[in-house]
Amino acid sequence: MNNMEEQLWNYIDGSCTPDEQKNIGSLIAADEAWRAKYDELLNLSKEFSAIELDEPPMAFTYNVMEVIRAEQASVPLKSVINKRIIWSIAVFFVFTIAALLVYIIANTKLSAANISIQTPDNFKIPNIKSYITKPVIEVFFFFDVILALYLTDAYLRKKRSLKHG
Amino acid sequence: MQSKLSDIELIAQTLAGNQAAYADLVKRHQRFVFTLAMRFAKGREDAEEIAQDCFIKAYRSLAAFEGQSKFSTWLYSIVYTTAMTFLRKKRVDTDSIDDENTYIQVESQSSAFDVNSAENKSRSFYLNQAIGQLLPDDATIITLFYQGEQSLEEIGRALGMETNTVKVKLFRARQRLKEKLERNLKHEAKELI
Repeated sequence: MNNMEEQLWNYIDGSCTPDEQKNIGSLIAADEAWRAKYDELLNLSKEFSAIELDEPPMAFTYNVMEVIRAEQASVPLKSVINKRIIWSIAVFFVFTIAALLVYIIANTKLSAANISIQTPDNFKIPNIKSYITKPVIEVFFFFDVILALYLTDAYLRKKRSLKHG
Repeated sequence: MQSKLSDIELIAQTLAGNQAAYADLVKRHQRFVFTLAMRFAKGREDAEEIAQDCFIKAYRSLAAFEGQSKFSTWLYSIVYTTAMTFLRKKRVDTDSIDDENTYIQVESQSSAFDVNSAENKSRSFYLNQAIGQLLPDDATIITLFYQGEQSLEEIGRALGMETNTVKVKLFRARQRLKEKLERNLKHEAKELI
């Protein structure tokens, strides 16, 4: 019986070989029992296909997108900033410090008898006052504010993650 | 109004940063995902939680979708794993569809069916009720095959099973659904079938 049902389901689903399809087709045509069972299973198959889907709540899509938006908003600033920018700022500072050190060491005269460090005659401290203009100060403070915000954000996140374990 | 773009086109737009495209994908698949979740959770609130979790997981790993299978097949595999994790958390026994004890337990839950109200109910009501009494694995395979219009191969891919295993499980699930339907309808079953 099960074998008959199994074969008929395969026939209805179209999951049997062409030879099996042909054999089962002729059995349905010739045998009353096979035909009755086939009709029964075919009707069941139609009933199963007609089962209606459940309807989610009206705000389902909105809720999903809200979670996604909230997740994206909480992405740390660190992951948003391009790492190349951070690296180029770091390289600039390292290069400037290194150049300054090389310049100072190259122009320093050391004497063994009297250990004293003398600055070269032609060494003049550049007049930086001319560089300290209003826009430069504004940029400097703006950079400081951004840096302060970034560090505060990182600190608060770390504190919150420790709190939530 | 839903987008006329294909799933693949919507995915490409989502990956390019268009969140509205993903909202269209959610709208397109939400009914089926929610129905699948209902097959496991048996309660609307839990099903909503599972379905929502699935779409969020799918969004997070959308870049990993290679397009080798249909998006729906990929999404259903997420639904299956998410629902199984959910059930494990809820400590519901879903170890095997052949677990006789569970089978008996589920059957006894259905004994509260009121035969007298049978005449007033629609056909889809009886079928939905019978599906609700099946074990999650059985109900999922039937839903994927008939409502999801997934082939046996695709179901196998979504559930991580061999095609032949799916074929056997589908056969058994249909047998059980038929039995449930007959039990619930008693005399009315013959007219319905």
